[in-house]
Amino acid sequence: MTQVGLSSPSLPMCPSAMRTTLAFARRELREALTSRWFLLYTAAFAVLAVATSFMSLAGTGSHGFAGFSRTAAGLLNLVMLVVPLMAMTAGATSVAGERERGTLLYLLAQPVSRLELLLGKFIGLSAALCASLCIGFGLSAGVLAWRAGGAGVGSFLSLVGFTCLLAVVTLSVGLLISVSTRKASVATGVAVFVWLTLVFLSDLGLMAGSLLFKFRVQELFSLAIINPLQAFKMSAILGLNASLDVLGPAGVYASRTFGAALPWMLAGVLAAWGALSFLAAALIFTRRAPV
Amino acid sequence: MIHVKGVIKKFGPVAAVDGVSFHIDEGESIALWGSNGAGKTTLIRCLLGVLRFRGRIVVGDENVKRRGKMARRLIGYVPQELAFHDDTRLGAAMIFFAKLRRVDPARCVELLEQVGLTGHERKRVRDLSGGMKQRLALAVAMLADPPIIILDEPTSNLDAVGRSEVFEMLQVLKRKGKTILFASHRPDEVIGLADRLLVMEKGRLVRDTTPASQWPAAGAVQTMRLVVAGEREESAATLLRDAGHIVHLNGRGLCVLAPHDKKALPIRLLAQAGVDIHDFEILEDFNNEEGAR
Amino acid sequence: MKLQRAIVTFALFVAGATMTPAIAAEYVSTVGAIEKLIESADPGATVRVPAGRYTGNLRITKPIVLEGAGVVTLDGGGEGTVVELLAPDITFRGFTVTGSGAGIDREPAGIRAETGPVTIEDNRIEDALFGIDLREAPNSVIRQNQIRGKDMELGRRGDGIRLWWSHGCVIEDNIVHSTRDMVFWYSEDLMIRRNRVEDSRYGLHFMYSHHTVLSENVLLRNSVGIYLMYSNEITIEGNTLAQNRGASGYGIGLKDCDGIVVRNNSLLANRVGSYIDNSPSSVDSSGVFEGNLIAFNERGMLMTPNTHDVILTGNGFVENEEQVAVHGRGDLTLNTFTRDGRGNFWSNYAGFDADGDGIGDFPYEAASLFESLIAREPNLRLFVHSPAQQAIEFTARAMPAVRPSPKFADTAPLMTPPTVEIVQIQRSHAGLMTVCAICLVGVAVLVLNVMGRSAVLPGPVAALSSEVLV
Repeated sequence: MTQVGLSSPSLPMCPSAMRTTLAFARRELREALTSRWFLLYTAAFAVLAVATSFMSLAGTGSHGFAGFSRTAAGLLNLVMLVVPLMAMTAGATSVAGERERGTLLYLLAQPVSRLELLLGKFIGLSAALCASLCIGFGLSAGVLAWRAGGAGVGSFLSLVGFTCLLAVVTLSVGLLISVSTRKASVATGVAVFVWLTLVFLSDLGLMAGSLLFKFRVQELFSLAIINPLQAFKMSAILGLNASLDVLGPAGVYASRTFGAALPWMLAGVLAAWGALSFLAAALIFTRRAPV
Repeated sequence: MIHVKGVIKKFGPVAAVDGVSFHIDEGESIALWGSNGAGKTTLIRCLLGVLRFRGRIVVGDENVKRRGKMARRLIGYVPQELAFHDDTRLGAAMIFFAKLRRVDPARCVELLEQVGLTGHERKRVRDLSGGMKQRLALAVAMLADPPIIILDEPTSNLDAVGRSEVFEMLQVLKRKGKTILFASHRPDEVIGLADRLLVMEKGRLVRDTTPASQWPAAGAVQTMRLVVAGEREESAATLLRDAGHIVHLNGRGLCVLAPHDKKALPIRLLAQAGVDIHDFEILEDFNNEEGAR
Repeated sequence: MKLQRAIVTFALFVAGATMTPAIAAEYVSTVGAIEKLIESADPGATVRVPAGRYTGNLRITKPIVLEGAGVVTLDGGGEGTVVELLAPDITFRGFTVTGSGAGIDREPAGIRAETGPVTIEDNRIEDALFGIDLREAPNSVIRQNQIRGKDMELGRRGDGIRLWWSHGCVIEDNIVHSTRDMVFWYSEDLMIRRNRVEDSRYGLHFMYSHHTVLSENVLLRNSVGIYLMYSNEITIEGNTLAQNRGASGYGIGLKDCDGIVVRNNSLLANRVGSYIDNSPSSVDSSGVFEGNLIAFNERGMLMTPNTHDVILTGNGFVENEEQVAVHGRGDLTLNTFTRDGRGNFWSNYAGFDADGDGIGDFPYEAASLFESLIAREPNLRLFVHSPAQQAIEFTARAMPAVRPSPKFADTAPLMTPPTVEIVQIQRSHAGLMTVCAICLVGVAVLVLNVMGRSAVLPGPVAALSSEVLV
């Protein structure tokens, strides 16, 4: 029994806020592991990633030329479609769901601050999402190593990195939705709508606008990168090609104008979306949100 | 131990708690009395610092508004019904809260034994009975051995057996010298547990009294439950209140207080008014039970 | 064991210390020494130059076979052309040539021949503005030379190999790196094979040079792979053109060329697999693309709208972002995509082959709404690789009303791509990728298992916690 006491004072340097946050993060991670959405998304992403890798190598895999660059294009589409949906719905249901079930009240009645709770959820869900993505990418990497000789390890890892960043960023957006709504079903609905907007509507709108109003190239580029998904796409393409010229005149314009600053700019857009969303979520949750 | 001054909580235009002030000393046991919607739950949530409010609440030496986390450290909270992630196992839930409270996990084992949940560690929260849930909630509340226990109608969802189990535990806590604040609309509980009684109506604190003065013939009062047709409940309650009875609706009929030698009085009143009584039940008298021991 | 190692280390150290002066004591002389050797030899004789470093600019004016015996370095010291071949029937073999001038105005070269035929083989040319320059040196042979240009920006570099009015030459097995072009001016009946050009501007560039065969060359990471201008009757066969991604980034570019045959090449991951501008230019001529593998390019083929009489058959169009594109607006219906009942393989062909004859049962029609939108508004290319693009294509498939008219049709699409031998041009990283795969999955499992599990608790709770969390 004497050693029992060791567990609490063994982390004396660790501030209590951090320990509470970590406790919430671990709880979130554990719950993700047992929850259906997590298993479903992980399986779906893994299957799709492997299938995409196979298909993009079909017909040419034998001569091992295609390597990663072609698979990347397929994976990019998949990631842009699946990852924001996964992260945003996960974020959206997290707080709203607890509120609806009444568990939020009980948690907040403990000696914890709301920020600790939100941050813990954010960290736990981020870890769960990234782990889920890593499984899918890992299997996909296995296919590439086997069928394509595995050229482009660096590019591949950069895609994995940016995808995890995208997941974390869209998770923040999901959390913002979650703290602003009372019911999990409403939060999910809003998240799906935001997803639709980011994935399809904003791009289609910009295309229509471009055809109608003949946006200049810098106007189109600036409008496009406001969308975190476009910023992600450009970051990923930069990681693969070191230049955006595959994106036509607007890409060439961006590469020429911003040069070495471009990756930082795009990462900045993503980071800003993540940080501002989380900040807004934290403000709403600590200041305004009822339980 | 708890100072409440001018607390106002509005939901939109409606003031759920409207200018409530009171004071609780260390070791006191206080009942919040009032019908549904009187503002008891809202007041408790303000005390916990879970809701934002106007006014001032100090728990221990901590201002709830500014140092809510520190204040909550002094409070163990038992909700009406424990709400925790349904898939979590009882033991895991206990350890989680032990971590939040920085309590040695060994204490989980100790407490589970105290509340009689040893051997149920692997059960999932969703599979627990109402009584087990409330005992778990009590165990969680007592994890850090806080000086204050706040309970929001802890027995209202329980059957008779569960109710008496929880009630007994509360009496143990009271004997240990904990400061207890609990909301209830069961006179038997109030009489058996409370030193003082704060009566709330429509968000206001209307009386700060004692069970003895609220029910002068406390020993002689019994609670009975009358079951009438659902649509007649409201009018029946009004009728009985007009006749001087204390009545509350708890969703399972009318709970009516009556002198133990005139229990037929409310029944007759209702019968005269043409309200059919489907069933009635005399609820246990805790004082008698205590006496029997 | 330790002692042994120490002795070996010491011995190696001593050996190294004694050998260093031997390397430093390389034989150094001027090219005058070589000129003396040549003077004393009869025409047509073989002169072997002893190993060493010779400074200065060498001029050879006698038909002779000059061979380096061992490592023979000719160093121009950064001035002028290092070696000039000024008589016919010279063979220049086995030298390292370095240090030409750098000013483009006098076009200093590593080796320049002013008359032919000459044979230049097995040389290594480094730090020269132009590599090998043949001026009116017909019937010469340039074989197995390695040329590396000066480390300068693309526009200021010289050509790796240049022919000027030199007919009937053979250029084979050379490796050229970081130069401007390998360029052929007014030179006919050439044989250009098995050369490798990397990281240069135009891999193989033809100006007004007709009747030539280009075969089995590898053109990698240049601005443009092969660029033919105003050159007719040229056969391009079995070449590999990959990752040529400069500003225009063509694998093969044709401008105003008649009678071109492009057969069994692989055009991979270029910006544009093949660009066709007004070729054939005359009305009665045609161009043939046959059996090429055109894969992973941003655009498989890019043709100007006036292009006519190009016959494409048996080619494999695999996973190009845009398989065949029109440069500007218009269609390609004046060209032939099916001949003798055989068309091309299209990786995005949605039809099937029920009768199993290897030919798809429905025509392949190149009609993409997104591509036609890009043709109208090039800026929209910004949205490729995004789900919105897929949405547009899906809409077009679902609603024929918005489907654009096809650019062309292949009435007999093939069900299998051509088999083309591809040179291995990328190192394999299978091991690294496997490690990467294992690491990713490992990290995931670690995060989920270790972090997602609560810490092991001591005392009697250990049983509780481990039991609870299984």
